[in-house]
Amino acid sequence: MSKASPELYEVAQLAVDLALKKGASAAAARAAKSRDVEVRWRDGKVEQVQESTTRGVSLALYVDGRYAAVSSSDLRRDALETFIADSVVMTRSLAPDPHRALPDPALYAGRREMDLQIEDPAYLTVSAEKRRTLSKEMEDAARAVRGAEAILSVSSGFNDNRTESVRIASNGFSGDRVETTFFIGAEVAVKDADGRRPSDSSFAGVRFVGELPAAAEHGRIAAERALSRLGAKKVASKSMTMVLDNRVAGRLVGALGGPLSGQALQQKRSFLEGKLGQAIGSKLLHVSDDPFVPKGFGSRLFDGEGLAAKERPVFEDGVLRTYFIDTYYGKKLNMAPTTGGMSNLSWRLGERSREELIRAAGEGIYVTGFLGGNSNATTGDYSLGVQGFVIRGGALGEPVAEMNISGNQLELWKHLVAVGNDPYPYSTLRTPTLVFDGVSFAGL
Amino acid sequence: MNEQGISRRQVLHIGAATLAGSALSDVLSGPARAATASAASPLYFARFGVDEGLIRGALAAALSKGGDYADLYFQHRVGSSFMLEDGAVNRAFKSVELGVGVRVVKGDQVGYGFTEDLTREALQQAALTAAAIADGPSRELPQRFHVGDPKASRYAVKLRWDDVRPEQKLPILNRLNERTFAADPRVKKVSISFNDESSVVLIADSTGRIVEDVRPMTSCYLGCVAEQNGVREQGAYNVAGREDLSFYSEERLARMVKEAVARTVVLFEAVPAPAGEMPVVMAAGSSGILLHEAIGHGMEADFNRKGTSIYSDKIGKPIAKPFVNIVDEGTQQGARGALNVDDEGNDVGKTMLVQDGVLTTYLHDQISAKHYGVAPTGNGRRESYQYAPMPRMRSTYMLPGPHKKDEIIASVKKGIYATNFTNGQVQIGAGDFTFYVKNGWLIEDGKLTRPVKDVNIIGNGPKVLEQVDMVSDDLEIDEGGWTCGKDGQGVPVSQGLPTVRVASITVGGRTTGKRG
Repeated sequence: MSKASPELYEVAQLAVDLALKKGASAAAARAAKSRDVEVRWRDGKVEQVQESTTRGVSLALYVDGRYAAVSSSDLRRDALETFIADSVVMTRSLAPDPHRALPDPALYAGRREMDLQIEDPAYLTVSAEKRRTLSKEMEDAARAVRGAEAILSVSSGFNDNRTESVRIASNGFSGDRVETTFFIGAEVAVKDADGRRPSDSSFAGVRFVGELPAAAEHGRIAAERALSRLGAKKVASKSMTMVLDNRVAGRLVGALGGPLSGQALQQKRSFLEGKLGQAIGSKLLHVSDDPFVPKGFGSRLFDGEGLAAKERPVFEDGVLRTYFIDTYYGKKLNMAPTTGGMSNLSWRLGERSREELIRAAGEGIYVTGFLGGNSNATTGDYSLGVQGFVIRGGALGEPVAEMNISGNQLELWKHLVAVGNDPYPYSTLRTPTLVFDGVSFAGL
Repeated sequence: MNEQGISRRQVLHIGAATLAGSALSDVLSGPARAATASAASPLYFARFGVDEGLIRGALAAALSKGGDYADLYFQHRVGSSFMLEDGAVNRAFKSVELGVGVRVVKGDQVGYGFTEDLTREALQQAALTAAAIADGPSRELPQRFHVGDPKASRYAVKLRWDDVRPEQKLPILNRLNERTFAADPRVKKVSISFNDESSVVLIADSTGRIVEDVRPMTSCYLGCVAEQNGVREQGAYNVAGREDLSFYSEERLARMVKEAVARTVVLFEAVPAPAGEMPVVMAAGSSGILLHEAIGHGMEADFNRKGTSIYSDKIGKPIAKPFVNIVDEGTQQGARGALNVDDEGNDVGKTMLVQDGVLTTYLHDQISAKHYGVAPTGNGRRESYQYAPMPRMRSTYMLPGPHKKDEIIASVKKGIYATNFTNGQVQIGAGDFTFYVKNGWLIEDGKLTRPVKDVNIIGNGPKVLEQVDMVSDDLEIDEGGWTCGKDGQGVPVSQGLPTVRVASITVGGRTTGKRG
């Protein structure tokens, strides 16, 4: 766990100082620098290599009771000074807003001191050759599966990133963060008899390069998944049990995030308004917001405003326990701020694996992918394109595509009938396999 | 200023693409303080603090390992947004981006680097990074650089956004707010975002070409929440274009208010849409989302070159009725998808994707054009200097056909009339696509009967094009602010459609049957 570079502290402090000098009464700045390297490999050779370092500063300005947020990638001293001076003038043109203020410094306090294990000190040792080798291994494994003659194209790749950032606020906050990520993945396109060219993928992401799973596995899985899509068809419209794969369940869970936000509540755009303490889902819906998951992609010691991170139950036995309230909407709603955004989710897991849940479901659809659609935050109505497989007699049957599910979130979560033992590790939402009964599927 | 988690990071870059209407959260991108454009000299060298020597040095480094071709993409973009909530314009956002991207092409392989530090050393370093895609002796540069004359002027901007004071924008938001509340007593909340940007780009390539463009953009989103008998609904209307302040005419503002309110309060009467295959009539205008998803992405030549599009190997083949003609172009004056040159410096024209029902031309960037041995079509686009260009749509629409709107609606016994959309997505290889209908109507016995809402429609591109069996004469290009997403890059696009009938497609409504 290292500190961010002194240069970023200087930029953030300079931005705050300039803001105050130009007339702001308070300011908070975030300076960040991010190095990103990506290799894309396709059909036997490198397709694209990109390497870059980006940097910039963003600044929240509080001027005469007014508020603006600005950002710039032009860090030349003169340019930054002019930019901030112009921004202060711009802020003065706005209507005053009595609810705008930096967070109460009391909420900065109590920041946990722990190593989140989100930075790999070996980051710079990753070689160009390693990125290419792993990418090639994924392709080779994909092309070695049974049925590989149907493969049209294999794309694979390696992406690594190191980001350091510093946040400084004029009312006493100072904090930094250094993190690394390493992602590998493969996508395989196959040719179907009817001219369709379905594809599917497999990828993994970790905080420490040494913990990357075997690349070949992901190539193989991507190819097997793509080949399993051959011959996909829609089936008759009806209400069925849905077993939702853990890698895509986040699409439904994520749709709860917007309506839980202070802005949605205050702007009357949330179907969860007034529902604190009420049962939203079945007793199986039991989830907390956990910023301290070691190596988690959403792990943090303080949030985007500097509030000290805390673990919070979101749903307990189906009952809604918290909203995501930032300082501004907290003042507008007259509610205590919690945090403006989710970190990681931790689920109370079930005991059964995906295979056992499919067997127990008996009949239904195993959904492995979403395609478009939307969820209305105000009413909870959702309608989403899906693909997957028929479940018949507790086993997977033929692939289905071009189908859609519809309903209302308030209804859906009450029909959550099983939770798997398999949290998806490569996302902040960490969803296990979820099973819902009575889901309306549209197809033929 | 959120510390974002990184679950959104994607390492994979093929297979899916998205389209979204402009949303409140989607605010920043950028304008520039531009001098009056004149031909012949690289006007913006000073803005970027560069000269021909620096460009030559960077391109020489880019080709030092034997790349076939290299280009530099300098960009200075300034964007600002003013937002109204709870009756006051009480927040503003502003962003400045300055940087240069270096691309080296070797065959169909690409090396890319960028820097936000425009010093000679940093530029040289980015160029050497990109150069490493090749592995051979260095290439020669031409003796002279030639500054291309601007061939087109598709953004008739009298007053640059840099020169517009906040005091000139704020009354627009306040007026929209007052009128929206006045329009219907059921309106409880109004939110507005007013966005503008200008982007100065300078493209220099290893053939000795230097091209400049100054691109304005503005958009305005008006959202409202209404309440009736304890039930709430939200709706919105938005407009966008490469225009100046005069875009916000009285007539346009009045239309925004009328549409935003009408689209919201009609939802109180709406019934859930049915489920299953049925005829769908696409209303003129933003229904162009059908083309964007069903065929536009699949015709981007990168997917075809790789054999991963459902339209691969279909050029010259009939794919639709003979009265179906589909165009992608960048030449519409002031359109959100308009361009004077694309992001590789090429002229932007009008490309026929489908002519008289026959698949005609892919959308090319330079790499795919070379692969297919054709001229680039001016579709090489990128989100910013941080990204390599690739084939992208501009403004995609269908030409008018032989039918009439009334006759089309009258022809449907039971189906949906889809009028307003929020987003769509496509799987380029499988061809399956969706678009989300925010507002629509049930058609029963040839008549629009009850409103429907919030329903996704899902189909397969080539199958749906075959099912387009009536096309009206009422083409409209939508004025909304669409952003197309592909490989993590968002670019502004336009779309349009005359009233069209799709004989059969799956409507993702609710089943009325028993539990299965």
